[in-house]
Amino acid sequence: MSKLIGYYTTQFGELWEKSLFDLVEEAISGVLKQTSLSNKQIDAVFFGNMLAGVLENNLHSPSKIAEILKVNIPIYRAEAACASGGAAFNLAKTYLDSNSNKNVLVVGAEKMTDYSPEETITGLSAASSGEEQEAGLTFPGLYGMMANYYLEKYHYTEENLAYVSVKNHFHGSLNSKAHFRKKITVKDVLSSPYVAYPLKVLDSSPISDGASAVILTNNRDLIKKQKNSVSVIASELVTDTISLKERKKMDEILATKNAADIAFEKAKISRKDIKVAEVHDCFSIAEILAMEDLGFWEKGTGGNKITELSTMFGNGDSLIVNTSGGLKAAGHPVGATGIKQIGEIFLQLTGQAEKRQVKNAKYGLAHNVGGSGGTAVVTILSS
Amino acid sequence: MVINGRDKAMPCLYKYIMISPIKIWRRQKEIRKIIGKKGKVLVWTKIYTPGADFKKYAPYPVVLVELKNKEKIYGQLVDYEDSDLKTGKKVVSVLRKVRSSSEEGVIAYGVKFKPL
Repeated sequence: MSKLIGYYTTQFGELWEKSLFDLVEEAISGVLKQTSLSNKQIDAVFFGNMLAGVLENNLHSPSKIAEILKVNIPIYRAEAACASGGAAFNLAKTYLDSNSNKNVLVVGAEKMTDYSPEETITGLSAASSGEEQEAGLTFPGLYGMMANYYLEKYHYTEENLAYVSVKNHFHGSLNSKAHFRKKITVKDVLSSPYVAYPLKVLDSSPISDGASAVILTNNRDLIKKQKNSVSVIASELVTDTISLKERKKMDEILATKNAADIAFEKAKISRKDIKVAEVHDCFSIAEILAMEDLGFWEKGTGGNKITELSTMFGNGDSLIVNTSGGLKAAGHPVGATGIKQIGEIFLQLTGQAEKRQVKNAKYGLAHNVGGSGGTAVVTILSS
Repeated sequence: MVINGRDKAMPCLYKYIMISPIKIWRRQKEIRKIIGKKGKVLVWTKIYTPGADFKKYAPYPVVLVELKNKEKIYGQLVDYEDSDLKTGKKVVSVLRKVRSSSEEGVIAYGVKFKPL
C-alpha cells in the first residue's frame, strides 16, 4: 500500500517576489528536507499545473523540474483545471500500484497574480466549453448558475451560502500558510460586491500563488524510518461532461458522487468514519454541493445544515471541514490546491495541525474538482 | 540551488493572439441554424467580473435556454429589464457581436437572447 510520508507547502498569497518555478523549488526542497530524502532517491515526479502554458508561455515543465532536481527520471505534468493537483496525486498513486519499492514526489503549483484579474479569468476559462466561453460565462458565472438553481429549488437565500465563507475564514485564521487570515461575518459576505449573481466576492476563492508537495512511497524500509506516515486507502478520479448544460442535474456534481462512492467502497469504511475533510469550496455553493454529493449530507439539506456550523473547528466532535481555510481562505493556486488538501489531511492525521488540530481523527478525505465538475478526485487517507 | 532563469520574464502569450478567422468561419456555419429560435430560461446568472474580451459589456446576464426542440443553448440576454431575469422567461435567439476583437481581428458574431 502507498504511504504518504511528508508534506510541505509554501505560503499561499500574492507572492510577487517569486516565479512559478521558484515556488516549485521551495516546495520540493521543503518536502525533501522534511523526509530526509535526497534528490537521487526520487524515482518519478508528478506535477499538477494548469495555467503556465496559457498565461506565461511556460511549458515543458517536466524538464524544468529535472533541472531543479538535477535528475533524469520520469517526470509528468497533469492538467485537469482546478483538479490538476488531485489528478497528479492520483497518477502518482497509480504509478506506485504498478511499481514496487519506489518513491515519488507529487508537486502542484500555480502562479496567478502576475496578471490582471481579467487576464487570469480568461486563462481559467480555457477549462470551460467553447460555447460557455463564447457566452462570456466565467467560472464564477457557471457556479453562479448552479447557486441560483439551488437557492431557487430548495428555497434558500444568499445568507445560507455566506456561512461557508464565515467558517472557512475562521479556519484560515488558524493557518499560518493561508492567503487570508482574517475572520469575517455573514454581514461582511452579504455586503461584498457581486462577482456573478448570486455569488459575491466573499463567496469566492481568491486568485493566489503557491506550491505544495508530498512524497508517496511503497518502499517498506523507507516507511519504517519515517517519523510520520499515513496510508492512501483510496484515490479515485472520475470525469464528466465539460459543459454544465449537458449534465442531467444542475444541483449535483456527478463526478464527485461517483468518485466518492467508488472511494468509500475501496476504502471499506463509511462516511461516519471520516472526522476531517478538505472539500473543494472554490465558491460557497461548491462546498454545499460537495457535502451533499460526497454523501455527508442529504441532497437539498446543505443550505440549512451549513447555518448550524457543525463542521466548524471547535463546534463538536463530528466531521470538521476545510481546516486549512479551504480554497476560500487558504487560497486557490489551482495546481497546488489538490496537493494542499491532501497535505492538510496528512497534518491532521499525524497530529501536526497545530491550532486547528482535530482530535482523534483516524480517517480523512480530500475532494478536488476541475472546472464546473468535469473532473473530481476523491482521496481517503488513514492514520 | 541556482535558478537559471528557466521561467523568468515569460511573456503573457494569449494577449497577442487573436481568434483565428478560420475558427470564427467554422462557428458561423453552426450559428445560422439557431437564430430566431424560441425557448425558455432554465437558469441564469449575471456576470460582474468578466474575462478580458467581455469587459466592456459588464455587467451582463447569461442565460441557459431550452429551445422548443429541447436543445439547450447558452447566451447573453440583451434588451432586457431586471424583471426578465427569471426562470421560465420566454426568449428568442438573435445574432449579435459576442466579444471584443483585436483591432485587426475578425468580428465574432454569435447567439444572444432577447426577452419575448
